Amino acid sequence: MSASARARPILMGLLVPVLLIGIWQAIAATHLVAPYILPSPALVLARFRGELDGGTFGGDVLASLSRALAGFAIGAPAGVGFGLLLGLSRVAGRLFGPIFLAYRQVALFAWVPLLSMWFGGGEAGKVAFIAMTAFAPATVNSWRGAAAIPAPYRELSRALTLRRLDHLLLVALPSALPGILTGLRTALIYAWLATVGAELFLDIAPGLGGRLNEGRDKFEVDLMIVALTVLATLGLAFGQLGAAAERRSIPWRNR
Amino acid sequence: MSRLATALPVPILLFGLWWLSAAQGWLPEQLLPAPATVWDALAETAASGDLQADILISLQRVGEGFAVGAVAGLIFGGALGLSRPVRDLFDPLFLLLAQVPPLAWIPLVILVVGIDEAMKVTVIAWASFVPVVLGVAQGIRDVPEPLRELGRALTFDPWDLVSRIVFPAAVPAIFTGLREGLANAWQTLVAAELFASSEGLGYLISLGRQLFQLDLVLAMVLVLGIVGLTLNGALALVERRLLRWQARAA
Amino acid sequence: MTHAPRAALEIDRVGKTFDVAGRHVEALRDISFSVRTGEFVAIVGASGCGKSTLLRLILGLDTDYAGEVRLDGRRIERPGLDRGIVFQDHRLLPWLTAEGNVAAALRRSGLPKAERRRLVAQHLELVGLENFATAWPAQLSGGMSQRVAIARALVNRPRFLLLDEPLGALDALTRLRLQDELARIVRHEGTTALLVTHDVDEAVFLADRIIVLQPDPGRIARIVEVDLDGQRDRSAPAFLRLRDEILDTLGVRHAPRAIATAA
Repeated sequence: MSASARARPILMGLLVPVLLIGIWQAIAATHLVAPYILPSPALVLARFRGELDGGTFGGDVLASLSRALAGFAIGAPAGVGFGLLLGLSRVAGRLFGPIFLAYRQVALFAWVPLLSMWFGGGEAGKVAFIAMTAFAPATVNSWRGAAAIPAPYRELSRALTLRRLDHLLLVALPSALPGILTGLRTALIYAWLATVGAELFLDIAPGLGGRLNEGRDKFEVDLMIVALTVLATLGLAFGQLGAAAERRSIPWRNR
Repeated sequence: MSRLATALPVPILLFGLWWLSAAQGWLPEQLLPAPATVWDALAETAASGDLQADILISLQRVGEGFAVGAVAGLIFGGALGLSRPVRDLFDPLFLLLAQVPPLAWIPLVILVVGIDEAMKVTVIAWASFVPVVLGVAQGIRDVPEPLRELGRALTFDPWDLVSRIVFPAAVPAIFTGLREGLANAWQTLVAAELFASSEGLGYLISLGRQLFQLDLVLAMVLVLGIVGLTLNGALALVERRLLRWQARAA
Repeated sequence: MTHAPRAALEIDRVGKTFDVAGRHVEALRDISFSVRTGEFVAIVGASGCGKSTLLRLILGLDTDYAGEVRLDGRRIERPGLDRGIVFQDHRLLPWLTAEGNVAAALRRSGLPKAERRRLVAQHLELVGLENFATAWPAQLSGGMSQRVAIARALVNRPRFLLLDEPLGALDALTRLRLQDELARIVRHEGTTALLVTHDVDEAVFLADRIIVLQPDPGRIARIVEVDLDGQRDRSAPAFLRLRDEILDTLGVRHAPRAIATAA
């Protein structure tokens, strides 16, 4: 593929965003709309820089991130463990599977009021909520991975007369690994979504969600746009990181 | 042992523990109300007609928002999947916007359309839109090249190619996208109602919290679960019906 | 006084029926034969005549059947390290290297680590893959993967080497090459071998005795002694004669039919 052919999709991809920003700038410049309703791109950029230098933005981002990671660190491994149990042991799957599936029917954010009543609105409650959201996808994917060990491998294990532990370490767990990794990746995304949502509802500061609320309360659209852009970028980063980590962790895949 | 027989012991055990703990007072009433109290709260809201009204409103909102989002998603996703130029132009922007959690748009949407129905429907529509677009676009892109080649070898015109080969092959992925869109819509609805609403299931939960009535909150969580289950079941039925022709891959 | 060589493996009136979608399908009926120590026996037949099923019974993966399979006079109840198997799909675990896969077979051997390592290296050398010990299966060709599988099957020095259409998934050229390899390896190890294949040439090339199965249900049609020695020539008249005989038994015409032409 020639260089220009490769460049074309990239240029086209930039076209619409650039166009939109141009239109945005034009509207703001003509003062058709009041600057407090639609600040110009320049103003937004200035606000962004301002927040970074003087403001607490760095602290907010850090707070959101650490909450998300804390919840993930609790919920995801628990989910993986639970999912593996459900997948590897048919008895456990039959006993605990249905009630887990029933639990999943409840929309995640419905637990927020409950948790805030139990934990009294403190940090623990938020982290507990985030952990809960990370738990579900980790469980589902690990369960799927562990339950679907291909018959040929199970037969091989029997032919080699492998004992339980060896079967687990050599056959079952590696076979379930892709499922586990998908579960972790999804759990990370969910944890992030839960963090942002919880911060929005419970109006917690510091945190990105809190800043979004602040922007709405004080009618500072420039702040909101800054916060949203940072959210989008972080979400993108999480997704990419997760995918890259997943790829790296399976070295035996076809090169 | 039958499926049902093994599914029951754990829930029954948990319920037993719950009942026992309330009866013995292991945990204060504020932390864990007795099953009877929760049932009373449920019965009360049902008797006053509030429960039914709120469920209806919630379902209505989800229906509206999902309908808008799904239809728009099918169109836009189709365009993305079928047309290279459209994909090059709009894919990057769309993917970037999709990174923002649907709920994060709420404050901005409130500023634009206020806090009423329009806000909820908009946000729910967007929440449905994203997975549907992704599902449709991916489904179309994943149609195996050999099948497309077959279409060309049979001298299909573009319309035939799409309607006879591409679309049918993409249907499973489209349905996955629709299913995810509905799930997203439901999750977003509940969150939006919790956040800013005076009616709906989410509102009832938030009301319970404001009034410090844990029994009401628990009762509504239960109802949520049942409604969610019903929705999922209904969708699964529809899907099974429409995909009857498809051989189930292992 | 010379004793007749002991029958190490005895298949005694073995029969197997499957339940497929409510119908009874008789896969094997009244199979009886024995295998002497050091022999190379091939089981030949078309697809679906039950030969793979028979091998699984001998391996011990399936214990629900009529009749008896005896090893040294004792009934086989489960798989054991005395029977190594090579599957048609190499079944190398993708997350273990070549040597890892071979070593997996030694987990139950109870041998010290150093000894296990030595055996793994030795057997990889036996199949000519000593330079690929640390390769992932995804990096190996079909033929190479199957050779690793053979090494894995032999690393425990089993009494029996069971081969279930081991070369069926390979291309024709690799197949011929591996047949030579297999002959050499089995001769070198002195293992008793039981090969299941649909390739008659392969059977005649490798085996001392050929059991020909006919399908529906799987029964023994004929047992043929192969009296060709050592290095076999696939083009020798005796070879071809034997092969044709067996093809005949299987009902496959080896000479082209005359096609009636419009007068």
